[in-house]
Amino acid sequence: MPHHHEACDSPFWSTLVDTQPLTASSQLMVTNVLTRMASHPAQANCIFAIHRRKLVGIATLQDLMRAIAQNNQWQQMRLSQVISRPVITVSLAELQTELNTIGPLLKRFVDHQISYLPVVDDHNHLVGLIDESRLLQLTHSLPSATITSAVASLPSLSQSDELHRQHQRAQLFAEITFKIRQSLQLKTILQTTVNEVQRLLKADRVLIYQVLSDGTGKPISEAVVPPYPAILGYSFPEEVFPKEYQTLYAEGRVQAIADVHAPESGLAECLVEFIEQWGIQSKLIVPIVHPLNTELSVGDAPLRNHLWGLLIAHQCRSPRRWSDFELELMQQLADQISIALSHGQMLEYLEERVELRTVELTQANHALKQEVQERKQVEIALRQSEEQLRLITNNLPVLIAYVDRNQRYRFNNQAYDYWLGQSPATIYNKSIKTVMGAAYYKNIRAHIEAALAGNQVAYESELAFKDGRCHSVNVVYIPHVETTRNASPKIKGFFALTTDISDRKAIERMKDEFIAVVSHELRTPLTSIHGSLKLMATGRLGRLSEEGQQMLEVADENTDRLVRLVNNVLDLQRIESGEVTMEAHACDASDVMEQATESMQAIAQQHDLEIKNQSVPLLIWADPDYIVQTLTNLIGNAIKFSAPGNVICLSVCPHHDPVLSSNQLPELVDVTTSHCSPSAAMALFCVQDHGQGIPSDKLDSIFDRFQQVDSSDSRKKGGTGLGLTICRKIVEQHGGKIWAESQKGEGSRFYFTVPLCHRVST
Amino acid sequence: MNSKRLLIVDDEESIQKVVSLSLKMEANWNTITASSGQEGIRQAEIHQPDAILLDVMMPEIDGIATFEALHRNPKTKPIPVILLTAKTQTSEKRLFQKLGVAGVITKPFNPLTLASQIVELLNWSL
Repeated sequence: MPHHHEACDSPFWSTLVDTQPLTASSQLMVTNVLTRMASHPAQANCIFAIHRRKLVGIATLQDLMRAIAQNNQWQQMRLSQVISRPVITVSLAELQTELNTIGPLLKRFVDHQISYLPVVDDHNHLVGLIDESRLLQLTHSLPSATITSAVASLPSLSQSDELHRQHQRAQLFAEITFKIRQSLQLKTILQTTVNEVQRLLKADRVLIYQVLSDGTGKPISEAVVPPYPAILGYSFPEEVFPKEYQTLYAEGRVQAIADVHAPESGLAECLVEFIEQWGIQSKLIVPIVHPLNTELSVGDAPLRNHLWGLLIAHQCRSPRRWSDFELELMQQLADQISIALSHGQMLEYLEERVELRTVELTQANHALKQEVQERKQVEIALRQSEEQLRLITNNLPVLIAYVDRNQRYRFNNQAYDYWLGQSPATIYNKSIKTVMGAAYYKNIRAHIEAALAGNQVAYESELAFKDGRCHSVNVVYIPHVETTRNASPKIKGFFALTTDISDRKAIERMKDEFIAVVSHELRTPLTSIHGSLKLMATGRLGRLSEEGQQMLEVADENTDRLVRLVNNVLDLQRIESGEVTMEAHACDASDVMEQATESMQAIAQQHDLEIKNQSVPLLIWADPDYIVQTLTNLIGNAIKFSAPGNVICLSVCPHHDPVLSSNQLPELVDVTTSHCSPSAAMALFCVQDHGQGIPSDKLDSIFDRFQQVDSSDSRKKGGTGLGLTICRKIVEQHGGKIWAESQKGEGSRFYFTVPLCHRVST
Repeated sequence: MNSKRLLIVDDEESIQKVVSLSLKMEANWNTITASSGQEGIRQAEIHQPDAILLDVMMPEIDGIATFEALHRNPKTKPIPVILLTAKTQTSEKRLFQKLGVAGVITKPFNPLTLASQIVELLNWSL
């Protein structure tokens, strides 16, 4: 609020000086400033920023509009960011001395290109505001008056009609301005302007002519009284409005022509003829200069004056002398149009921003919807996947569990409930010991610890089901190893799979029983037949005819073959089923070779063959009975395929097998109590004959069951086709290998390896 | 060689006949036969044979149980027992030997060498 001064009491003040100009703190938000200006009774066009009662700046409505148009964040701006400073002021003292006449005072407005001149006292406190338009009004009515004289003359003027008329006109102007500002739509504003100007000036035609960028133009709003023709929509060629005119108007030139036909009008004859078609006798033209901003959204873009158009009043019925007031009114309304243009531009900008933002929001919304949709789909997929997993794990006839490092159950499938009567929910987070019981846990503890040490474990066990019956189960623990890039692998727990193998076990038992029965039931009659034939073949039970004797020998040989076949089938089955237990211990290779040679010597002699035993003392780690069986089988084969007079050689020597390492040692039962252990080094046995040899393509397959070099061998030689398969099984159970080398016509060499014995020193 | 008398315990009569004939022919030994474990125990008590050839798989009392009964009986304990078995597995033979039998002969046996096998197992002289 301006400081009260005694000068304010004079009538001069109420006429020339607005003693209640709008003020605000420089820290007031721009939004509040706008509200305050809009609600000001006199429709304030400027506001003063005051700090500690001192005037610090001024902001016109245009300044504020410009700031709004140029700043996206204008809602956060304060008045201090919009105001112009320093402020051009006039002091009370100046008003009383050198600026005491209107002329110099007006000059100050012109010199400083300002519209508002605040009046301050000696302390720079605001005491009032001189508005250029008010001053011009006063000038119009008192062209030669001094302020002092005006002050003196005011009382007499206040009684005059002129003053009253001026007052009315000022009021009318305020009304027009108010009406213009009712709308933000430019078209409406322009139409209201022409209507109101026409009404106020009683002009025959008022129009707004828009200047286009190519130099042409067209009236865009018009108020015309009948019978005069409308110009609206007519396009004016460039020649009507040359560039130099445009420049003059852009600089603010006002043209008032009382009579277009008068020589002093200065109008070209062709132009006069041109305008005659609309019956124009007199015209008043004021430019609408609009500060053009081409970069509204880019902050502080420079502004430049641009001739947007013209506000034109025509008098058609007669020539007319336009008063200064009319001229000034037109100018002020042109300014209002300019402001409206700024508003419109801002509105357009805001609408553009809103549209842009709406598009952005729509896109964001669309993206969000899509994301939500995608997430929903992922969620559905996850749920489906989880349901499927649950369905699978719960319907598999196995116990599936995940156990953490602390031996606590972290997952159990539904089978725990079906089999053991313990639901996954009740088991969760309980220890294996608690769930399975201390006694059972004691039996499986070593396996659990092995799994948690990172080893895959498999074992068989007996597990009591909820019906009280014990089932044979096969249990597999698979360690859960977490591998991280930098750290060493970490065991997080293990997966436990338990399969009910009761049925398999029952079948195995049945098979064992069956084999036992077959073994007995087949061999018992065979024993009788075999024994009887053998006794008969001696001839001591009576002589048969030659043919009878031959038939008896056929029966005897084939019974022998049948006996061997039954023996071999049963042997092989037992070895393959793991029923055979080979008991390894340290034994001398030469002893084993000796036994084998001895048992086959008689048969060799029958075939006129010699068995040469080239054994050396070598301690092997093996089950001697089975090594004897292997050697016997190989010698038997050598006998079958050797020509009479040949030699069969047996040998043994140490052999280093690079493939066999200590962790691949045979899984034999260690029955020794001596200080021996299997060694990584091997003993290499060889049975060599000088028979017909084996084709190279058969060297591998002869170890497969019923695979012989010649399918007629079994008939010719009485073989079963299982002997070498049994040999391979025995050798493999010892952790060794068996193979053959041969050259057709030069005989064969059968090799096999078994571990050497390593004597441990005590 | 002194004539021996052996007890053959086998539920198969045909086996009894082949074994008897084989031992008679090859070694001129006399044989007594029994078709079950119980009969075998009784015959052993009565006749006190030089050796018993005992089948393993027999109904009611099998060869193992029969052997254990013979072994528990002071009258029959000294008589050497040789098992005649169709069970050929080496581990089974070891099990039988651990029981204290004098030997194991696998079926089907060679009737021409049966007597010599028995002589060898019992350290007799032929």
